[in-house]
Amino acid sequence: MTEPDRGGKPQKKTVGENLSLGKALNHGLRRSLENDSKVVIMGEDVGKLGGVFRITDGLQKDFGEDRIIDTPLAEAGIVGTAVGLAIRGYRPVCEIQFDGFVFPAYNQIVAQVAKMFYRSKGNVRLPIVIRIPYGGGIGAVEHHSESPEGYFAHTPGLKVVTCSTPLDAYTMIQQAIATDDPIVFFEPKRRYWEKGEVDLDADLASAYPLHAARVAREGTDATLLAYGPMVRTALDAATAAAEDGRNLEVIDLRSLSPVDYPAIYASVRKTGRAVVVHEAPGNLGVGAELAARITEECFYSLEAPVLRVTGFDVPYPAARVEEEYLPDLDRVLDAVDRSFGW
Amino acid sequence: MSRIKEFNLPDLGEGLTEGEILSWLVKVGDTIELNQPIVEVETAKAAVEIPAKWAGVISRIFVEAGSTVEVGSPIVAIDTDPSAGPLPSSGDGPVPSAESLAAVDIAPAEGAVEPGLIGGPAPGGRTAVLVGYGPRNTTAKRRPRVGTPGASATAAVPAPVTTPEPVAAPEPVQAPEPARVGPVLAKPPVRKLARDLGIDLATVTGTGPLGSVTRDDVQQAAAQPQAAGATPAAAVFDASREQRIPVKGVRKLTAENMVASAFTAPHVTEFLTVDVTRAMKALEKIKARPEFRDVRVSPLLLVAKAVLLAVRRHPMVNSSWSAQTNEIVVKEYVNLGIAAATERGLIVPNIKDAGRLSLRELAEALNTLVQVAKSGKTPPSDMSAGTLSITNVGVFGVDTGTPILPPGESAILAFGAVKPMPWVHKGKIKIRQVTTLGLSFDHRIIDGELGSKFLRDIGRFLTDPEEALLAWT
Amino acid sequence: MANGEREVGVDAPAGGFVQLLTPDGERVDSVTTADGTTYSVSFTDDEYRELYKDLVTVRRLDAEATALQRQGELGIWASLLGQEAAQVGSGRALRPQDMAFPTYREHGVLYTRGIDPIMPFGLFRGVDQGGWDPNEYKFNTYTIVIGAQTLHATGYAMGITMDGKTGNPDGEAVIAYFGDGATSQGEVNESFVWSGVFNAPIVFFCQNNQYAISEPLERQTRIPLYRRAAGYGFPGVRIDGNDVLATFAVTRAALDNARNGQGPTLIEAYTYRMGAHTSSDDPTRYRIASEVESWKAKDPISRLRAFLAKQQLADDTFFAEVDEAAKTLALDLRERVLSMPDPQPVSLFDNVYPTGSPEIDAQRARFVEYQASFEGSDH
Repeated sequence: MTEPDRGGKPQKKTVGENLSLGKALNHGLRRSLENDSKVVIMGEDVGKLGGVFRITDGLQKDFGEDRIIDTPLAEAGIVGTAVGLAIRGYRPVCEIQFDGFVFPAYNQIVAQVAKMFYRSKGNVRLPIVIRIPYGGGIGAVEHHSESPEGYFAHTPGLKVVTCSTPLDAYTMIQQAIATDDPIVFFEPKRRYWEKGEVDLDADLASAYPLHAARVAREGTDATLLAYGPMVRTALDAATAAAEDGRNLEVIDLRSLSPVDYPAIYASVRKTGRAVVVHEAPGNLGVGAELAARITEECFYSLEAPVLRVTGFDVPYPAARVEEEYLPDLDRVLDAVDRSFGW
Repeated sequence: MSRIKEFNLPDLGEGLTEGEILSWLVKVGDTIELNQPIVEVETAKAAVEIPAKWAGVISRIFVEAGSTVEVGSPIVAIDTDPSAGPLPSSGDGPVPSAESLAAVDIAPAEGAVEPGLIGGPAPGGRTAVLVGYGPRNTTAKRRPRVGTPGASATAAVPAPVTTPEPVAAPEPVQAPEPARVGPVLAKPPVRKLARDLGIDLATVTGTGPLGSVTRDDVQQAAAQPQAAGATPAAAVFDASREQRIPVKGVRKLTAENMVASAFTAPHVTEFLTVDVTRAMKALEKIKARPEFRDVRVSPLLLVAKAVLLAVRRHPMVNSSWSAQTNEIVVKEYVNLGIAAATERGLIVPNIKDAGRLSLRELAEALNTLVQVAKSGKTPPSDMSAGTLSITNVGVFGVDTGTPILPPGESAILAFGAVKPMPWVHKGKIKIRQVTTLGLSFDHRIIDGELGSKFLRDIGRFLTDPEEALLAWT
Repeated sequence: MANGEREVGVDAPAGGFVQLLTPDGERVDSVTTADGTTYSVSFTDDEYRELYKDLVTVRRLDAEATALQRQGELGIWASLLGQEAAQVGSGRALRPQDMAFPTYREHGVLYTRGIDPIMPFGLFRGVDQGGWDPNEYKFNTYTIVIGAQTLHATGYAMGITMDGKTGNPDGEAVIAYFGDGATSQGEVNESFVWSGVFNAPIVFFCQNNQYAISEPLERQTRIPLYRRAAGYGFPGVRIDGNDVLATFAVTRAALDNARNGQGPTLIEAYTYRMGAHTSSDDPTRYRIASEVESWKAKDPISRLRAFLAKQQLADDTFFAEVDEAAKTLALDLRERVLSMPDPQPVSLFDNVYPTGSPEIDAQRARFVEYQASFEGSDH
């Protein structure tokens, strides 16, 4: 595939609206439902209620109960029946209500969905999208702030993506639904209400590729690698760093499986320093894989080891102390300082 | 179902892991008796006939003559109950009924697992599991790579790779490296070296992979007085030319002891040069004695003996100054310390109650002490409670020294090299074996007279051991 | 079954079951269950003979597979010995447009769908993972994770409804197979919930062969399995799983109900796993000889043979011909299994994603290079 222009600005001027990320997803889902009658949405409370985050608001009214399906309270059932529907020829979009509740469906996702194309030698395609709101920072009670993306990115046969802006949310959800690969689609719930320009006329074919990383901010001194909710955090850190005379580059990974390594390597070879930022616990997280790969492929360019700023290796804490747990601007810049100490 | 028994190549002993089937002595369909030889196998040493483990009918042969098979792999299947009707696998006879196939088996004997049941042997040298072929044994052998010597070995034994020729290693598959403009490429350790040496990487031509700057490149750049137009590396007198060694372990302890001793006990050292020719001759006599045949004997042995005998005549030297109790503690036992240089530093292990040892026992103890010290395994108990020490500086060719007292001791003897020197012997100048003894002592306990007499006696023994023995005993 | 007033069925468990052919080969004209449904079959002589042929063939092929495993030609084999009637009876009840979701033991059902019997052997030999196109064969791929396929079956059935293909006699139905052990799995219970709530056109066919490896039925349930359906709001019926006629009758009726829009049914086929769970299991460790003996007397094939002989619908010549034909098929299967090629190493990297992945491409390229660096590889 030809290298996309990963420049910090979108390709064409957006004729767009200023929409929240949640609304952008809603619009993207609507477009997908319109474009393909085989697309169905299924999950708990997605129909009448429009979803606990209103992502599917208004869709059942327009597309009917057969296509926007309120399901029983059974995550394994949501994904398992989606497999059957996919064998039947449908393109199911499953919603798992919260990250912490995906685990009952884990068996169906990794033992069934992930393996089906491989084990059937290409005979069975499961064009399923599993949407999961994830991450912390909403002051929630237990099990509603998890970052389980690593479990899925680690599983061969699945593709995993995560949007960080309304612009990307709008196109990525459509691209995920349109592809025949099974996709786990992580939505940064703390960013659901943040607004940004969205090009509602974006043509999928020429939209930014689903699995390409994007340079969210160009820089020269160090590379910040982030995804989902942490992209904003990384951008804020870069803004603050500029005041200290440091010019940081921020890469939005967008795709966690596969990862757009050429984009990452290009950036690290330019700056010589890399810092990964993610909410998920650091031990054996996505950052560990990135660090290993960058070290192997950019060894001669490294001025310092790849550093990771992550959640601690503790269960996600109570709401009133979560700000201490989550990586923030200061922790990111502390890592940048340490990087320059080498 | 245990009716069909698979017979595995048995362990042929002597650590052999495989054997070649030379010839089958039976064929499929033959009826055999228990222990009847059924196959001839060649091991690395000999041709061996293998007897059948069961009686019955040969139902299948797994390995043809001429093949090599691993120990534990099945080689033949024997139908041990041919009268029970046709086998499902033979393809002959009527449809097996549910009865024959669902035959209820007696549970296997304790310990042994039937072939084909979980934990039992399975075809192909594997162990049966519930869900598949089961694990198999692997050997610790590499597959030969293209271009290695011995790669064209016989099929029987894969050639172990001994010294592979350097094959052009495939380039690590990575994203194509963009044309190098901009940042210098160098491994992190090389960057550090450059920084430590004050070299600007950008001024160094890289000869490494992908045009990176290597360690050699940096060191060469550092060695050049000037590169044209480049800033010369100025001579520095700082950390970059200094090595910092942390003080710990034996060295730390030794240093502490030295300081404590040197600055507590007023040290006086006296010297005596002696003609030890007779002692050297006595040493030869000792070596020739049968009881010393397998014991190493050295001049140090006689010096130690001299010291021990002299201590008997001057017991006060074997004492220590107790500041807490304001006492001098005179010891009846001599724990004779011998200073030893080890990899980790100087230690002074001692021979407990050396004064009670026979000459031979003393020789053995000295040898053991030195060996153990060299191996670094001297136990702490050996290094405590010393009362008097000898330091053999002679092994380094040094004449003598002013040794420092080990803590808690009041006298230490430096024994120098024994050298042929001109000496006045019976009124004439002769070449004699001469050495210098240096005795340091704690002047709080030992005054000049005592120290001198003690030293004189040591010298007397070494000058003429027989005469001293006769005089003293 | 009557309301417990009298036992129905010879050698029936407490509460009875639907039986139209006794272990001795006697016919029962019809059986009416407590909910008032009457089951019966009327087959032609040829149809009876064909059923017998199916049963014998399926058993013979299974025996050949067991032998192949013993000889190391298959890594594992899940024998259906004893369950032939449950599989042939239900399989023959399916209409061409119906879809079956098996576990990993339904080689008998596969046979009745007209599928080449060698199809699952790749899985058991370890040369592939048994992947075929479910839609081509109307028979899903084997599923090893216990019970996972019941959700797939339910989703598929929901799709049939969404396609408008239920509510009429030509509608499509789904049959989902699973064992007694699977009824404990959460996902199986979720499929009962979903199919009831969405009125899915699905028949849940439980082959209760009394054991899940070594765990007996009492480990999976306090009540007879067919009664679990009531809790989910749809009918459950227990049949003599060793009776091919009752199996056919009840399954056909349930499938027709489903395709007519009446929703799910649970069928419990009461049978027995005569062999081991899989090839290296040792049943003598957990069950006693007398139990196995008592089930031999209820053999599904011998009762049909007895019926055919008594009714003079077949003679020894016929039986011998059936055996011979089955053996021929088995030996042909054997030959084809023995010549199944091992997969090419580089095929490890095929079919991971429909749209591919640069990551997989890179790994494949490195692997090819690495393999070529060894002596004796076909670079």
